[in-house]
Amino acid sequence: MFARDIMDTRFHTVRPTHTIAEAVRAFETATIEERKRVYGLMVTDEQDRLVGMLSMYDILLFIQPKQVHLWDEMEDFEPGSLFDELLDRVKAIQVCDIMTTEVVTIKPDTHVIVIADLMIKRHIRRLPVVDGKDVVGIVYISGLFNHLMRKFL
Amino acid sequence: MLVKEVMRCQIIQLPTTAYLSKGINHLIKHKINALLVTDEVRNPVGVVSKTDLVGAFYGGLSIDSVLGDIMYGPPLTCYPDDELETSLDVMRTHGVHQLYVRGADPSSLDGMLSYTDVVVFLHRYCRSCPKSTSRKRGPSDLQEEGQHFTVKEVMTASVVSYREEDPLVEVIDGLMDHHVGAILIRDSQGLARGVISKTDLVAAYHHGMSLNVEARSIMNAPVISCDQRALLDEAIRLMLLKDVHRVFANSGDPSQITGVLSLSDAARIRSGSCRACVSSRIIPKG
Repeated sequence: MFARDIMDTRFHTVRPTHTIAEAVRAFETATIEERKRVYGLMVTDEQDRLVGMLSMYDILLFIQPKQVHLWDEMEDFEPGSLFDELLDRVKAIQVCDIMTTEVVTIKPDTHVIVIADLMIKRHIRRLPVVDGKDVVGIVYISGLFNHLMRKFL
Repeated sequence: MLVKEVMRCQIIQLPTTAYLSKGINHLIKHKINALLVTDEVRNPVGVVSKTDLVGAFYGGLSIDSVLGDIMYGPPLTCYPDDELETSLDVMRTHGVHQLYVRGADPSSLDGMLSYTDVVVFLHRYCRSCPKSTSRKRGPSDLQEEGQHFTVKEVMTASVVSYREEDPLVEVIDGLMDHHVGAILIRDSQGLARGVISKTDLVAAYHHGMSLNVEARSIMNAPVISCDQRALLDEAIRLMLLKDVHRVFANSGDPSQITGVLSLSDAARIRSGSCRACVSSRIIPKG
């Protein structure tokens, strides 16, 4: 059993030049169309080549103040309005500024055991499937899990 | 006080062959001022800072150049058991915002020391002190005591500013000429309208913008400022919580800027935020 047998061939992408607001809307669209919560999107350039991945984690990491541990030590501090200002700063950046550029990919003929191993060892929830330079699908950990468990049960 | 008490262990590094675009991605994503650059066997060979990237933007270097083309090296280093005072002097003398910390293995680095780390340390120290402003009734009582530093006493009173319609190339000229981390942007009436930092310029470079676009197109607004009579401790807290490297000081009216206080200013006074520590100093002379 290989990646091609379990991958989703319908996938959603964003461009490196998209704003974070556009990326958030793409997350919402993908979630509605796929009828499941989509937490990460592939980033592709004008030639549809994969150049990165953008996850909700990447966006949250950017919004999160670097010295957030100090907030817990400040009982006299009200974080409400400050957090709104921190959210506001995403307006100045694009997907290319915070996407993950070191993307682990698999091929259509990668075996599911190898895929499971990659996902477990490297804590990856989604793997783009690339054939040459073309993105042909994506394998989600839920897809892999459901496939394996279906056989088991 | 020793470096090992303040340093942090995480170092963001990339190889000399990584593209500038990837370096900028890492600087913005991790909110850092500089990247450690390594050779093919992961030995540290140089550093690329936001200043270097702004220089590359100014010089018209392609974003597809590699970090090895603009890095300076070798990285400036210190040891975990060095006196913090000595290391801060090295940072000031060389005009850098970070030092890398050497470990037992001479070919590797175990961590780094930045102005932010020093200020966070001082801030925590001051908050745990019985004289901390957070334990007092209100700022006015404290100022009457005259014990605590105010922003005005520590800030840099000269502020470099440009107009909203000035091109980025002139803003960069101002940054370079005055060796500052950010430029205040004023409107035609001279009122403070926004700020352009090195991070904004590096992002503009990454986004393929021209050096001729107007300052207003990338400035951050409104200006983050505080009253120059505010306590230093409050201004430091504002910078740390808002994730900014400087806060502008105003005369009471936010559009009338009178100075700027940076994290490096706050780190350089070394005695925390009140005079109680001046004689002994939290970070004593080495």
